[in-house]
Amino acid sequence: MSNIPPHKASEADKDRVFAPCRARCPVHIDVPGYLSAVAEGRFTDALEIVMQRNPLPSVCGRVCLRPCEEGCRRCNLDEPVAIAALKRAAADHGAYPLPRPMGTRPERVAIIGSGPTGLTAAHDLAQLGMKVTLFEEKPKLGGMLRYGIPNYRLPDDALDRDIGHIVSLGVETITGVRVGRDLNLDELAQTFDAVLIAAGLQGSRSVPIDGAHLPQVMTALDFLERSASGEKLDLGERVVVVGGGNVAMDVARTAIRQHAQSVDVICLESRDEMPASEHEIEDATLEGANVHCSWGPHAVIGDENVCALDTVRCTSIFDSEKRFAPEFDESELRRFEADTIILAIGQSADVGDLGINLTHRGSPIVDPVTLRTSHEGIYAAGDVVTGPTRIIDAIAHGHRAAAAIFGALVDDWSLLRELDLENTVLGEIPPHMSEMLETRRRIQMETVPFYEAIKNWGEIEEGYTEYEAAREAQRCLGCTTGARLAQEKCASCLSCMRVCPHGAPGVHVGGYMYFDMEACHACGTCASACPGSAISIEGCSPDEMVLRVQRALASPTIDQTIAFVCGHTRNALETLDPNARIVTVSCLLRVDESTVLQAFRSGAGRVAFSECDTGTCRFPHALKLVAQRERSIVSALTQIGMGDSFRIVGPASDEEAPS
Amino acid sequence: MNLHDALSSGTFAVTSEVGPPKGTDVSEMLASAEILRGRVHALNVTDNQAAVMRLCTLAACIHLKNAGHDAVYQVTCRDRNRLAMQSDLLGAASFGITNVLALTGDHIVVGDHPAAKSVFDYESVQLLETIVDLKGGRDAAGNELHGVPDFTIGAVVTPDAKPFRPQLAKFEKKVRAGATYFQTQAVYDPESFTSFSAYARGLGVKILAGVVVLRSAGMARFMNKNIPGIEVPQALIDQLEASNDPVQTGIEITARFIEQVRSECDGVHVMAVGAEHLVPRILDAAGL
Amino acid sequence: MIVVRRKPIDEILKMVGRHTRVMLVGCNTCAAVSLAGGQKEVDTLIELLSLAASRKGFSVEFSDAILERQCEPEFIEKLDSQGYDAILSLGCGAGVATLAGDNDKPVYPALDTLFIGSAQGFASWQAECSACGSCVLGETCGICPTTRCAKGILNGPCGGVKDGTCELGDRPCAWVEIYDRLESLGRIDDFGKTMPAKDNSISARCCEWDMTKEGDDS
Repeated sequence: MSNIPPHKASEADKDRVFAPCRARCPVHIDVPGYLSAVAEGRFTDALEIVMQRNPLPSVCGRVCLRPCEEGCRRCNLDEPVAIAALKRAAADHGAYPLPRPMGTRPERVAIIGSGPTGLTAAHDLAQLGMKVTLFEEKPKLGGMLRYGIPNYRLPDDALDRDIGHIVSLGVETITGVRVGRDLNLDELAQTFDAVLIAAGLQGSRSVPIDGAHLPQVMTALDFLERSASGEKLDLGERVVVVGGGNVAMDVARTAIRQHAQSVDVICLESRDEMPASEHEIEDATLEGANVHCSWGPHAVIGDENVCALDTVRCTSIFDSEKRFAPEFDESELRRFEADTIILAIGQSADVGDLGINLTHRGSPIVDPVTLRTSHEGIYAAGDVVTGPTRIIDAIAHGHRAAAAIFGALVDDWSLLRELDLENTVLGEIPPHMSEMLETRRRIQMETVPFYEAIKNWGEIEEGYTEYEAAREAQRCLGCTTGARLAQEKCASCLSCMRVCPHGAPGVHVGGYMYFDMEACHACGTCASACPGSAISIEGCSPDEMVLRVQRALASPTIDQTIAFVCGHTRNALETLDPNARIVTVSCLLRVDESTVLQAFRSGAGRVAFSECDTGTCRFPHALKLVAQRERSIVSALTQIGMGDSFRIVGPASDEEAPS
Repeated sequence: MNLHDALSSGTFAVTSEVGPPKGTDVSEMLASAEILRGRVHALNVTDNQAAVMRLCTLAACIHLKNAGHDAVYQVTCRDRNRLAMQSDLLGAASFGITNVLALTGDHIVVGDHPAAKSVFDYESVQLLETIVDLKGGRDAAGNELHGVPDFTIGAVVTPDAKPFRPQLAKFEKKVRAGATYFQTQAVYDPESFTSFSAYARGLGVKILAGVVVLRSAGMARFMNKNIPGIEVPQALIDQLEASNDPVQTGIEITARFIEQVRSECDGVHVMAVGAEHLVPRILDAAGL
Repeated sequence: MIVVRRKPIDEILKMVGRHTRVMLVGCNTCAAVSLAGGQKEVDTLIELLSLAASRKGFSVEFSDAILERQCEPEFIEKLDSQGYDAILSLGCGAGVATLAGDNDKPVYPALDTLFIGSAQGFASWQAECSACGSCVLGETCGICPTTRCAKGILNGPCGGVKDGTCELGDRPCAWVEIYDRLESLGRIDDFGKTMPAKDNSISARCCEWDMTKEGDDS
């Protein structure tokens, strides 16, 4: 079925070393890359890096389940960097890129469903120049992101920023139309060159128990959607939620905001087995939900007025082969009084009306590589195919669908191949280096206290300020973003070995230098010391520095001072002229002498170095070299009569000049 | 009695020094020499001392010789190569100037022509060997001389150098190279000096203790800090500090020192260091 | 390695300021390694000269090139300096000389050549050899008295040594170091051997080397 020509991994592919955060992310966002941009206060650059792989930064910055953070190499040191929250900071404080599709193409693609998969596929295909039409059954775009995730976790405006950017690429949107009901899939297939079914899981599972049909019983999806649509629901005083996943927690917390007096969450699993994230359970509990573990729903008792859920003790939920096979102890019963019972026990595909071949679970049958269904030109992706997954998995599937459709329509399979490239994952921090690294706790994000939060639908997490974000991003060890060596420029002078405190550079017999990526944490000291400009650090090449200076010079302020500010301190900023044109860097060592001189040539009247203080400095070994650099700049400028055009400010300096 | 006779007869030798002028007016130099007439066996003539350019040593020696003084011709290796040094030595001998003192010399960058080229074709040990060669009738290249000079060959040593053992080894080389008498860097501690002197005399050479009169506690501290190989004991500094007339105290300290070491060495070399007029008073106080 | 250092900008500008198109040529061997003639220094010097030139009202255009070694004609052949009216070399004296000998345009030195030295950690070098042509390192345990002693004394410390430091105050006394090393190697008797004055005719005639290596000229 798959018609992709075979592809052999090239040597270059094997060299692709990913930091574990990036490797664990299903869409392989360049995490160290955007964190280093955030660390330097370059939020727009950071957002651009994120959006190269994830078109939903605002969404994922809030509600991603963050597989990346589990891989963070800081885990063995203190705690992972707040990668997701920093993605949100990029989206909060950065500017979304202007829509710049790569030309225009004649192909037309219809996408059914505007959840994460549909939005991602729409983004990618529109970016590639295709004409994309997005069909959505609901009145607004977003799918589960809008109707399944409560506003206090993902507010509409945050979602709308991501969607707005995607739509701005030229995506046509048709809402309130259900394909299969209002429109025939075959007709669509004739009008469009390709159709992608990304409908998600719109069906709610039920439980085969007595009384499940009673009007007091509703499904989580129905409940959440109506709440999200702004409907005020009369739940009565007592709400019982059935389910142990994140959706159940969302339902419980939403019910509290719908003024339920008591919320009981009943689940089959024991506390340790609950699939919900730990912090979601904690938050739900904090807001007043009572979680009752190891109870199985047995029957709904009652009539139209009074109601209760009878449960029995669940003794185990998996059999010896880890299959779902709950066992109950019928002798232990418990009754939960309820005015409303909400079932949050899972969703299922609901695409029976499309007329394509389905699995026994109701999902479209697709080729695992090309995602093509039984019908030519019709593809399916996302949860509708895979069953329930994380949002980031759905996004990854959206990329795959777009790459497959592009491959089929243009006969260019390179994008799809790229998705399946092998990569090597960077190993753990070597012991000698962990000893040298200082521990630094994660910066806590401000949140609305729970007793305030439950009063309305407002977002609980307030996000990092720019300063907090930069400080948190500075915790990133810069895995894989460090020294890159251009062997042909290397003079084997060994300066890199002499300045690196972590033993990352080494030399082979014959004088060939190499870098141990596991030991490097991208301080940039070696690059600054390299006389051949043979070493570069991601994001800090001379050309990139020139660009940053020119950007700063273009900003509309009267002062002609370019201030290179070490991002690790803020008090230095306060000693600078507020009108100074600021270029924030992770370490002043990244500013070469020639960068400073070029700033003057580009029109800067003065240049300032704003140093970090030794207390906040992340690269203390560089302090001496920064001082050396400053002396050499002063000496060079003095020689050409410009000695007083350079100024050093900041706590580490004792030669502060008057402004 | 001249220096050679004093040393060979076992008389306690007394030398001092004069510096040639910067310019051609030698009257002051001769006046300084005059007040020491009869009090010293010979007068050292420094050679562009401290790398400061002055009238040439050989000419100054001739002036002194003409005035009836016995001069010690100091030869440093800093400003001349082996040809120039040998020809000057022959020139000196032709005027009857036969006391020579071989030194390496202060480095040029500490003087008043720091940009000049340092020569150091030789250093003291090699110079001593060449002087011995000349005395033996051949130049450094082995060529025979017509007319052979006679020299009383001296050198310098720093008994309080730190570290001392390399200095001592160098001293021994100078002895082996042919130096017969040594003037020392200024010394202040009688005990350490006499132990050095006893060892040195055991090698068959004469030792003249170098003395510099201390004129104030400040001068003592300055020398401790800045002049290599000089160790003024704290007790002497305290004594000067407490004194109402530190110059007189300094003279007394010097005289006392000479008395204490007199029996353990072969003479004394009094360095004036800008206070030539004090030298007679020192000699008076020391009974010399 | 040959250790070099950049000349004062004024001095460089006096040489190149009268030209209109100047090519800066770095050297990726000794000059780069002594952090004065690699790509980075070439880039920095271009910026510095451009700034300085424009402040003085000169109109000079600078560009850059790097040679693997300036002292080798075969590397220089690869240099395309067409359209430039002068070359500013960031090489050692040998580099400048070789470039100049191979060129029909003026070649100026941007660096001063200091010594043959060893690295002492990052951005720090020590003079080790004066290329005198008559090596005595065997007698001095690898510490060159001609180079490390300010006066080039061959027979022990002068009276200027103070607490093991040279009278110039900028280095340890070479002879104290030699003494210590001889002692630690059990060779202290060698200290007593008087070394004769150097045969300076060797270095005076070392230019013969640019013609033959003994035995190789058959």
